[in-house]
Amino acid sequence: MKVEEKKWIRIRVYVVALFFMLGLGTILARAYQLQVVEDDYLKGIADKGIFATITLPPDRGFVYDREGNELAVSIQVGSVFAHPSQIQEKPKTAVKLSKILQEPTDSILQKLRRKRSFVWIKRRISPAVTAEVSRLNLIGVGITTESRRYYPEREIAAHLMGFSGTDNQGLEGLERKYDRYLTGAQHKLVCMEDAFGRPFAINKPTPPEKAGVHHLTLTIDKEIQYKAQQALHSAVTQTKAKGGHCVVVDPKTGEILAMAVVPQFNPNIFSKFRPDTWRNRAVTDCFEPGSTMKAFLLSAALEEGVVSPLTEFFCEEGKFKVGGRVVHDTHEYETLTVADIVVRSSNIGAIKIGQKLGYERFCRYLKKFGFSEKTGVDLLGERAGFIRTTKHARTIDQANLYFGQGMSTTSLQLVMAMAAIANGGQLMRPYVVKEIVDDAGHQVEETTPQVVRRVISFKTAKTVASILTGVVGEEGTAPKAAIKGFGVAGKTGTAQKIDPRTKAYSKRKYVATFVGFTPVEDPKLVILVVIDEPEGIAYGGLVAAPVFQKVGSWALNHLRAAPRPGLLAGGDAGQVDQASVSPKSAQPIAVAPQVKRIAQELRQGVLPDFTRMGMRQVLKKGRDLGLKVCLKGSGLAVAQQPEPGCSLSQVDSVEIHFKPPGR
Amino acid sequence: MIDRRLIKNFDWVLLLVLLLLAGISLLNLYSATYAIRDVGGDKIFVKQIYWFLIGFTVLLAVTTFNYYKLEQLAFPAYLLSVFLLIAVLMGGKVTSGSQRWLSLGPVSFQPSEFAKIAVVLVLAKFFGERGGNRAYRLRDLWQPFILIMIPCVLILKEPDLGSALFMGLVSFSMILFVKVHWKSILIFLFSGMAAAPLIWFRLKEYQQMRILTFLRPDMDPLGAGYHINQSKIAIGSGCLWGKGFLNGTQTRLHFLPEQHTDFAFSVLAEEWGMVGAVALLMIYLFMIFWGLNIVKSSKDRFGAVLAFGIVAVIFWQVVINVGMVTGLLPVVGIPLILFSYGGSSLVTTMGVVGLLMNISMRRFMFQEDQEKLL
Repeated sequence: MKVEEKKWIRIRVYVVALFFMLGLGTILARAYQLQVVEDDYLKGIADKGIFATITLPPDRGFVYDREGNELAVSIQVGSVFAHPSQIQEKPKTAVKLSKILQEPTDSILQKLRRKRSFVWIKRRISPAVTAEVSRLNLIGVGITTESRRYYPEREIAAHLMGFSGTDNQGLEGLERKYDRYLTGAQHKLVCMEDAFGRPFAINKPTPPEKAGVHHLTLTIDKEIQYKAQQALHSAVTQTKAKGGHCVVVDPKTGEILAMAVVPQFNPNIFSKFRPDTWRNRAVTDCFEPGSTMKAFLLSAALEEGVVSPLTEFFCEEGKFKVGGRVVHDTHEYETLTVADIVVRSSNIGAIKIGQKLGYERFCRYLKKFGFSEKTGVDLLGERAGFIRTTKHARTIDQANLYFGQGMSTTSLQLVMAMAAIANGGQLMRPYVVKEIVDDAGHQVEETTPQVVRRVISFKTAKTVASILTGVVGEEGTAPKAAIKGFGVAGKTGTAQKIDPRTKAYSKRKYVATFVGFTPVEDPKLVILVVIDEPEGIAYGGLVAAPVFQKVGSWALNHLRAAPRPGLLAGGDAGQVDQASVSPKSAQPIAVAPQVKRIAQELRQGVLPDFTRMGMRQVLKKGRDLGLKVCLKGSGLAVAQQPEPGCSLSQVDSVEIHFKPPGR
Repeated sequence: MIDRRLIKNFDWVLLLVLLLLAGISLLNLYSATYAIRDVGGDKIFVKQIYWFLIGFTVLLAVTTFNYYKLEQLAFPAYLLSVFLLIAVLMGGKVTSGSQRWLSLGPVSFQPSEFAKIAVVLVLAKFFGERGGNRAYRLRDLWQPFILIMIPCVLILKEPDLGSALFMGLVSFSMILFVKVHWKSILIFLFSGMAAAPLIWFRLKEYQQMRILTFLRPDMDPLGAGYHINQSKIAIGSGCLWGKGFLNGTQTRLHFLPEQHTDFAFSVLAEEWGMVGAVALLMIYLFMIFWGLNIVKSSKDRFGAVLAFGIVAVIFWQVVINVGMVTGLLPVVGIPLILFSYGGSSLVTTMGVVGLLMNISMRRFMFQEDQEKLL
């Protein structure tokens, strides 16, 4: 080859090389476009082509009462689904399924004929039925397990619990408020299919990540809650009232032990009840409290030193003209001491005390007691209530406020204010959720008692408490609230309601209230009872007080509170209205010390070893042995005090320490 | 006896690149046939290993004789290929509507594969004989034109539009390479464009569909556009790093058609992502540049033109196949050279690369030595 030709070839080769690089460059650019620029879009198509994802409702954590009883659980149920495209003999399959599922063949066939890759045939049925379906071995029909929310106690604490929907999402109450904690990771039912629509990984739930599910322990005591609901319900039914609330609180901690609302509903079938029955009216509804406010008027007046319990006021013989209106008392009184004004609930006397105290000062105290501001309870939909400012209150409005009209409060506010008197003058923050633990048993959150503020001095509180014991005496307005063996302090209220039509106080619509605490010396319970629009006699002392008595006496017994012997032996106890104390509830209290001794003798044998038991197991065993069990920590039992082997006759209570397993 | 310079000059680099490609190709084939391994996929994999062994044997065999000998063999080879193309039309196997395969005992092969090489050879001989640096004019090109047209028409009759177009492209590249007068090129291009409508109406319906689909891929995503859409989805869903070996969903789930043959590149791109695709293309680019270097350094005109023809074969196969699976070009049944499954294509390619090595090995020899050696 000539040199010239060589050179010619070299030039050609360079040109061609350039051209080739351009060609491959174009292809590289295309690959870049497809794989980097449009990757999301194309990847999406690829995934959509092969995955049919069905999201199953997530697991939910359990909710327990303070003793470890289950209030809300998740149970595993079976669901039957189908891949219509894979079913050849649709009518035959439908007939077979309809026999087992007891559903009309037509409706099943209709589902099977749908042009979709996935249909639910029947959801949430018993495992026995799904087992039968799986035995059929039908092509294109599958079974999966889902969790379903179940409330084993039905109506008990339903208003607190709320409920969760079909897809296990919290819809109301604690279920909604704590949805974030209760909801676990979502289960995904993934079925992958190839280009010919043949499934190759049906029913492959993604690994259930249990993390995320938390369990709640409430301050609620299921037994007290049950009693409160039962007593309230029967009272509401008897008086043909519109409804009612009963709230039980531990005054020292602010723990809500029970919160009953009537009308009730069953959260398992919540949709069968009217939506307005779902509402937890004890926190969401306001009402005019009426004479119960006199307890706080008394507290304010004593704290400010404007009166003493023995200061006397002239009660105008039942008629008193204020601000152009006439205020009446139910009984005509001439001169009453401050204590008597409260005990006999004289409106005129209250106005006189109030006028001496001054409207503005009274309002300040009401606010200190927590009225017109939210309690900060961990419940949804709380309302704040309302008090007129001095500027907007006419003389008559001011006068009305001294006996609790013209303001509004929720049941929870009222019971917490009374709790402040009961515990020696401190307003507590109420709460329902005691503890949140994760699935492994580790504590995530714990609610501790929280003092909002000091409202009145300890001394004033004790004085007020002792005056309020008179309310349940024979002279008082609520002898029916007395509990044999225990000192009771409280205050009745019979508030007029505003008629929404006439916009004036109704002569027939009342709210009957009793709010009190017991035992007076060392209050364990503050109980509020509100009966809304009872028919006939509407006095708080006659309608609400008996409910207080029933719930209180029962709960004290349940909490193993020791009655004061002095109150049992007659004397002071004589003030107890025997008729109102049912023999059933009176007896155990009367013989309580005896019963205790007998029980101790019965408890033969020795204290068992509780270690490695779960909380619920421990509680059950402890209850069976008649022991008071004190739980510390969470998880599995690791230590106990006293040691196992102690004679049971010497043991009254046992303290058990828990630790999360696996550490 | 073999000159030790032959050993010294043996193109080890090209052989290594071939081995590398063979390895990647087998790995990819394993994945592409993994989903159908129970229904014969495993046999495909084993078969391809055998084909590779045969291919390497052919490659080594081709390097033993001086390519200079081929100049005499060009016409006989060409005539043989024309004969085989006629034979396939007379009594070839009919698969999916076209007659492309010829059975010889237990093995069947595509004569069009062989014809591609024969045309390259005969063109190299034609252009190699003419020395000097004078540009060809149209009147000088009537002979090669006929030489190209005969096998092209025969292949079109099968019908195998892809192979025919490919043959045309390779030939056209070679003609351009040997310097053609620019007026002749223009005339050729214009007459080609004028003939386009005529060719369009001569095309079979499915061929028309393929071109229409190429122009508007979303026209019929489940019918004519299915292949290309699924391929694009496969490549695109590979993203930058790919889904991993044996993890390509488009591949494993049979969404991707012809995954071990024409769409083997899509399998690679899905499972190894952009990184894998670029790496493979770089290997091809390297091979092409290596080949061009051989063209440049070959000692005679015949060798240079022949080597260039071979490089053009490699280049156009890569561009057409990858262009097709990425939706840049219409779907034509051109496999990816040295990568797709297929015996005839692989063995002929190996033979062709062997020729390239042959030319490379003998680049320093003088004519006299060659005479002596043979």
